[in-house]
Amino acid sequence: MKGLVQLYAQQFRTTLAMMFQYRASLIIWMIGHVLEPLVYLVVWSVVATTGGGSVGDYTKTQFAAYFIVLMLVNHVTYTWIMYEFEYRIRQGSLSFLLLKPVHPIHSDIADNVSSKMITLPFMLAIAAVLAVIFHPALSPEPWAIGLFVPALLLAFLVRFLLEWTLAQAAFWTTRVDAINQTYFVLLLFLSGQIMPLTLLPHPVRVVAEILPFRGMVGFPVELLLGRLTLTEALTGLGIQAAWVIIGLVLLRVVWRAGVRVYSAVGA
Amino acid sequence: MTSPAIHICDLSKVYVVSQQEAGAKAALRDLVRRRTQKIRAVDGISFDLAPGEIVGFLGPNGAGKTTTLKMLAGLLHPTSGEVTVLGRIPWKREKAFLRQITLVMGQRNQLVWDIPAIHTFELNRVIYRIAPGDYRRMLGELTELLDLGTLLNKPVRNLSLGERMKCEIAAALLHHPSIVFLDEPTIGLDVTMQRRIRAFITEYNRRFGATVLLTSHYMADVEALCKRVVVIHHGRLVFDGDLSVLVKQFTEHKTIVVQLGDCDADLKAYGEVVSCSDGLTTLRIPKAEAAHVTERLLADLPVIDLLIEDPPIEEVIERVFAQGSP
Amino acid sequence: MSYLRLLAAFFRVSIRTELAYRVNFFVQLFQSLLSLGMALGGLAVIFSFTDTLGGWRPDEVLALVGVYFLVGGMIRLVIQPGMEEFIDSVRTGTLDFTLTKPEDAQFLISIRRLQIWELIDIVMGLGVLGTALVRLGTNVGGGEAAVFILMVVAGGFIIYSFWLILATLSFWFVRVENILVIFQSMYEAGRWPISLYPGWLRYGLTFIVPVAFATTIPVEALTSRLTWETLLGAVALAAALLLVSRGFWRLGLRRYSGTSA
Repeated sequence: MKGLVQLYAQQFRTTLAMMFQYRASLIIWMIGHVLEPLVYLVVWSVVATTGGGSVGDYTKTQFAAYFIVLMLVNHVTYTWIMYEFEYRIRQGSLSFLLLKPVHPIHSDIADNVSSKMITLPFMLAIAAVLAVIFHPALSPEPWAIGLFVPALLLAFLVRFLLEWTLAQAAFWTTRVDAINQTYFVLLLFLSGQIMPLTLLPHPVRVVAEILPFRGMVGFPVELLLGRLTLTEALTGLGIQAAWVIIGLVLLRVVWRAGVRVYSAVGA
Repeated sequence: MTSPAIHICDLSKVYVVSQQEAGAKAALRDLVRRRTQKIRAVDGISFDLAPGEIVGFLGPNGAGKTTTLKMLAGLLHPTSGEVTVLGRIPWKREKAFLRQITLVMGQRNQLVWDIPAIHTFELNRVIYRIAPGDYRRMLGELTELLDLGTLLNKPVRNLSLGERMKCEIAAALLHHPSIVFLDEPTIGLDVTMQRRIRAFITEYNRRFGATVLLTSHYMADVEALCKRVVVIHHGRLVFDGDLSVLVKQFTEHKTIVVQLGDCDADLKAYGEVVSCSDGLTTLRIPKAEAAHVTERLLADLPVIDLLIEDPPIEEVIERVFAQGSP
Repeated sequence: MSYLRLLAAFFRVSIRTELAYRVNFFVQLFQSLLSLGMALGGLAVIFSFTDTLGGWRPDEVLALVGVYFLVGGMIRLVIQPGMEEFIDSVRTGTLDFTLTKPEDAQFLISIRRLQIWELIDIVMGLGVLGTALVRLGTNVGGGEAAVFILMVVAGGFIIYSFWLILATLSFWFVRVENILVIFQSMYEAGRWPISLYPGWLRYGLTFIVPVAFATTIPVEALTSRLTWETLLGAVALAAALLLVSRGFWRLGLRRYSGTSA
């Protein structure tokens, strides 16, 4: 356990050192993370205005709150691991990672978290600016705020585990673009990034609640906005936890199979 | 006296680079006041090439060979001095000028990677506006001279390094240029391929009368191809003359590396012992005696391995430089 | 004239390069259909809650989606691959080969690579646009079509100049290819009418990253929203940017060859 802590600390230092090199790609990610929710914020606000002030149970200011919080939650939970993995396999540098006595996922998590420690302050600043412009309205109960932290943590885990597993598709094909794109489309629609999931037609909404995507982004957002009852919140947490477990199992299975394929070809 | 194909007079290229030291304090200092350093990559060189000459342009890495070549090809603007190629100023990059020159760079490809080389040839045909008849004829001659055979129809990425180099050279010569710049064309190739490419350059020069300027840090390239060599070191010319003169004057020795079990044996009797470590003894022998000494070594001692080498070009250059320019 | 022959020659090479990887066609087709599905899905969701969006009717926004794919395909067919390869060639030194060729270097690097399968997006975009126009019942006469094409061409030149200016930065800076990705992020915003966005964002998407010229403005030509000022402005901006980018390019070349002091 102590070894892991040291590993994470070391990775943090390494990531910090590389920050300067990667600042361009980090800025690009941030621009994307700001722009997309911003676009939908504007579009839905317009729809709300024309629709007599609200759409479903969201007013203009509630949309603002939703998308600004979404922006932050998405930024906290996002990964770039599928691109990194494809690169590793293509370059052959995965071999080095396989030689180490630690599962490569740890340094990936550490790298991910470390870089967000740097970028999150900037995102918070941007969120503050957007709040001034768009006047978001949110009124969560204290217990909702309390449950938000574990929800966010679980969201990160669900997303990281599943995306890391998905990234291993690179073991079997070079056509990861298509796979990634399919995943992102599903994620966009079913995690609440295009619109709050409560606005979806009922059958779709039920499916969305069971799938992992909502747990990755939309659920913590709804929680912090004070839109869930205690029962709904706890159910959501439970579904997240279930997907973490599924994710862990999938990860182990796919990783073992992938490594076997990789070493068979000649690392 | 025909006018020279290439005329260089007092040519210089000076780069200004910023000096960067490590450490936070130095970085802060640099923000306020940038310290710069002038690097004289090429420092007042002069020489001419007559039409149809093959000249070897020798020097160790960083000596200024590639910089000079780029100035001749119009890629770099000189800092000072005069340079004309076929009577034109290269850095003006006039189209008529560019149609008469070509540049081949070892380890850098102009061939499109995923498709057979023949298609890049077609592209060059259009770019250089080669008439169909001329193109067919030239392609035929190059295929014969370079033994291209079926290589042209294989995707370039499936070719070996040597095969790729042959196709690169062919692509560069389709438009029948009268000036050929070759920048380290044999680097990274195996010995057989190196020899083949050298033979090709000689034959091309003979058949088409093109002026060839070849840079290399391989002595063997130059020995095979050039009667005349120009040696550059630290941006300055240190030798310009007949290769035989250079060879006789400055490479009178060969190096023999003998692998014995240990360093105990005393090899002073065979030649000048340069060094010995881990059972590898390096001897310096006068060239004429190399074969004889090798015979004796093999006969007298339990030799595990033996290697005869030319002294590295750097050593030759150092000696040329040390003796002063003519 | 010779420029056309060169263009044809590069086109042939690009087709051959793509045919070497036939599976790319199917992958591109899949990805394009997926993108289209996503765009249409988003549209369907929005318009299930409202009849107009900022004064735009559903089929007008559909037309916008069509132009979004059409122009996006054009950018990814011609502009993007050339610029990306150019930036790479500065880094690896293969730019030197281009500079020793007896043709204008800017032209050569601009058409050097064509991603042929982006034609799928172009065809798809035209299809969506056509469908939208039919549903709108607009009669697109010769005049409107001509203005539309003019706006698309002007928009194309504006985007080209924008990319060229950014790509030319690689003569001075190393990691420029990242900047180009920002354009792709911002282009996403072009799927919705620019008039929806707050003033500052609208300004950014018009004059800083000229997305508006690629999507909204050409569609305005077909939905009777285009004003004379916008039309003339687009044409003037296209001409001005072509000149500016050319000038900047030449400056960059001179820097590369060490001409400036």
